[in-house]
Amino acid sequence: MKVRRMLGALGVATVLAPLLFPLYWMVMSSFTQEARLFAAPALVPDALVLDHYRALFGGRDFWTPIRNSLIVAGATTGLSVGLGALCAYALARLQFRGKTVMLAFVLAVSMFPQISIVSPLYLLLRELRMINTYPGLVLPYLTFAMPLTIWLLVGFFRQLPAELEEAAAMDGAGRLRSLREIVLPLAWPGLATTAILTFLYCWNEFLFALSFTLGPERYTVPVAIALFRGQYQVPWGQILAAAVVATAPVAAIVLVAQRRIVAGLTAGAVKG
Amino acid sequence: MRNEARLGWALTLPALAAIAMVAVFPIFWTAWESLHFHDLRMPWLGRPFVGMANYVEAVSSERFWGAMAHTAVFTAATVTLELAGGLVLALIVDRFSRGRDLVRTAVLLPWAIPTVVVALVWRFLFESPAGIVNGVLLRLGMSPPTWFADATAVWVPLILADVWKMTPFVAVLLLAGLQNIDRSLYEAARIDGAGWGRQLTDITLPLLRPALLVAFIFRSLDAFRVFDVIYVMTGGGPGTATEPIALLTFSSLLQNLRFGFGAALSVIVFVVSFIFAAACIRVLGRDALMERVP
Amino acid sequence: MMVNAAKRSGWMEILPLVVALSAIGCGVGQDPHVLTFAGSAVGSEAEALRRQLDRFQAVHPSIRVELRATPDASDQRHQLYVQWLNAQAPDPDVLQLDVVSTSEFAAAGWILNFDQFHAPTADFFPATIAANRWNGSLYALPWFIDVGMLYWRTDLMAHPPVDIDDLERLAAHARDEHGVPYGLVWQGARYEGLVTVFLEYLGAFGGRILDEEGRVVLDSNAAVTALTTMRDEIAVDRIVPPAVLTWQEEQVRFAFQNGQAAFMRNWPYAYGLLMDASQSRVAGRFAVASMPGGAGGAPTSALGGSVLAINAHSGDREAAYLLIDYLLQPEQLLERARLVGQYPPRPSLYETQALAEALTIAPGEARRIIERAVARPVTPVYTELSEILQIALHRTLTNQQEPRAALEGAASSMQALLDKVGLSPAVHEK
Repeated sequence: MKVRRMLGALGVATVLAPLLFPLYWMVMSSFTQEARLFAAPALVPDALVLDHYRALFGGRDFWTPIRNSLIVAGATTGLSVGLGALCAYALARLQFRGKTVMLAFVLAVSMFPQISIVSPLYLLLRELRMINTYPGLVLPYLTFAMPLTIWLLVGFFRQLPAELEEAAAMDGAGRLRSLREIVLPLAWPGLATTAILTFLYCWNEFLFALSFTLGPERYTVPVAIALFRGQYQVPWGQILAAAVVATAPVAAIVLVAQRRIVAGLTAGAVKG
Repeated sequence: MRNEARLGWALTLPALAAIAMVAVFPIFWTAWESLHFHDLRMPWLGRPFVGMANYVEAVSSERFWGAMAHTAVFTAATVTLELAGGLVLALIVDRFSRGRDLVRTAVLLPWAIPTVVVALVWRFLFESPAGIVNGVLLRLGMSPPTWFADATAVWVPLILADVWKMTPFVAVLLLAGLQNIDRSLYEAARIDGAGWGRQLTDITLPLLRPALLVAFIFRSLDAFRVFDVIYVMTGGGPGTATEPIALLTFSSLLQNLRFGFGAALSVIVFVVSFIFAAACIRVLGRDALMERVP
Repeated sequence: MMVNAAKRSGWMEILPLVVALSAIGCGVGQDPHVLTFAGSAVGSEAEALRRQLDRFQAVHPSIRVELRATPDASDQRHQLYVQWLNAQAPDPDVLQLDVVSTSEFAAAGWILNFDQFHAPTADFFPATIAANRWNGSLYALPWFIDVGMLYWRTDLMAHPPVDIDDLERLAAHARDEHGVPYGLVWQGARYEGLVTVFLEYLGAFGGRILDEEGRVVLDSNAAVTALTTMRDEIAVDRIVPPAVLTWQEEQVRFAFQNGQAAFMRNWPYAYGLLMDASQSRVAGRFAVASMPGGAGGAPTSALGGSVLAINAHSGDREAAYLLIDYLLQPEQLLERARLVGQYPPRPSLYETQALAEALTIAPGEARRIIERAVARPVTPVYTELSEILQIALHRTLTNQQEPRAALEGAASSMQALLDKVGLSPAVHEK
């Protein structure tokens, strides 16, 4: 049995090493002096320097993109989970014509290539004077967030036992009341999972944010990091520090909510 | 039940209207735009209707076909590696129960990280002349290429980055499929004397087929529209050796402001995706995807 | 109005998301005397600019100038400007443009015609004024001039190379005998900088992009020789490292600054930084010369630099021009030359002692290089011409295509583009 256990540990290690090494290297390098980044890299650092983080938050004002990302991702998540929950409840529980078509429609939209709608959205936002504003990002984000939330929530609502609602209906409670008082409290784990996944997608989104923002005051985290590379030397230390900062909330979410995320991913088979 | 129908419509309408406004309406706008000459940098030329001219220009340009070829190469390579790697990863993780939480976290992390960050980290690993990959290769006595100035070698970090990020996602999907397989089937096979290989080909793979197909469709659709990782890591270079169709479309639109031409490219991307998805659903059986909703 | 929306504190924008759709357009009126200036604002350049803006505000107390930082890389800055101006935003009022952008922005109607201001054009180098004209009108004024220069190591050789062959010989010698890893480094990433480097090799062998009639003549033998020379310096002679194919100005400077290269092609800005012994290993061990010539041509520098223009939708044109006029006064230009090492666009300054003290090479020599420098084509579609050329050059240098095939392909695409938009480039006599 000992051999078996050791083999198991070895298996875990072979799986983990390639997955975690790039992350380890990123974190470690972000604490290394710029001059040493490309000179004789050592696996274990002999000194940790905070220079890059200081430069990031002192010189570059990296708080602004973080704030922008939080606002945009938060607003999109709130809006799409709110609207999506109503829609998903109806699709999961109510009997009416057109339901199947609606589901197919939602699925089809979730497969839209983002690049296909960049040009009209740009022209539309330009007409509305909403380029480089928060609403100008939240609206485009709904294109992928709404289908995602509806798709996930339909799955979660269908898993809820119908008996409670039926009992409530017999008591004369209306549909809306039973939605508010019975279904939503029961469904909160599903709502939380959906919100987490939606937030992750928004936090990571790049193409729309790159297309519809014009300056550092509205860049989201991915755009800000991607545009670090300038005419001035590629500031690898700061880029990696920013990468760590961008990864930290995501890593925290994964650590706390990994079971939920797996449940969400497999239930909805959402797009990557 | 008329009340229920009314309520159903009332509840679904806001969400569906939002989707229609931000996703469906723009698609039609793109199609209309693609039939016009519209260059925002030359306002004096107006926005004349030009029929299919933009499409003709696209399909007669070498750069367009190059971009399509790069997209196809990227899609084929990443989807193959991710499905194979995801299967292996899922089989390994399925084997042991100890440390599964740790493994699951490690598997989810790369998937959850912004693609932009993944691209930069892999660029850093492969940076010439002194990135760590080159350091290791030199120590092994090899002479590594200048990765990002070599039209062939540049695919290695690109594909590796995408595979690193997305294989875990595939593994999670397949793992769910594996855990749905009735364990007694394996017991029976073992009693019949079937080895590990036979069990894999006779039980695991056939029963995993739907999960594999779903993963295949989602990964392919996603790889076909690849943008982030290439924009950040190579900018489509060297030359245009790694430029995918989405990047060509983006630069036509937002760098050159050729909205008519860019819209034509957008429509082509859309139509190809649509045909691919339709074909897959056809092969898969219409219900297989809808069944994903329990 | 968009700008008002953008300036409003961010947190307030979420709640009225839906309301925002209908309520756009009710911004607050702007103070008529606030100017925004968009330009690059890093390092010593930023310091010089801030000082000058402060002094300007002291002279004109009714005008307040806000500095808006833009990306460092000129390509990225260009894209940002295109999006701002295309959105018809009223600010920034004053823009620092790369010299090749003027005709594009003028033709699109995004920047203001300067004819109303009766600018003293005769006080500037004629070539720098010509680059800022479109359809006979002036649209911007030159701020500073950049010319490509050859930096060489005085500890590795006694004199600068007389021509390209000599340079290649000296570079190989430095590599083999002195253990310097790279002979020569230049900007080889796929971006505008690569075009300027190519322009210098092109001129060195007697080639050009456009002929007198504005036709693309990039398929000439001289052009093929120029590009073949560049490629062979990497692939055959191995004096230029392949890594330059991903390098822009600063990576090139770092290699030279660390003592890794015998020669470097770069702009004047690098001089001061390389002289700083606290970060440079070659301080005091290098000098600057004009780019070497080759067979059939002459030593050539690419003409670069920045110009100042006014947003066509600016609410306060008079104040904007006042600011530009102030920044172009001889004292301000001299201060920039001293602090940043950039060459002023006024020929009269090259007679002064003050400039001789500020510049890194003799003013007479600098003036000769500037007057010989080659401008890039003046056309509204320059960005696309440049993109076509960048791709062809980069494909060749990374061995994906032969020089002649690449240049012929680029020439025909560029000609087709010019024919299609019906705008042949303005041709200027030198």
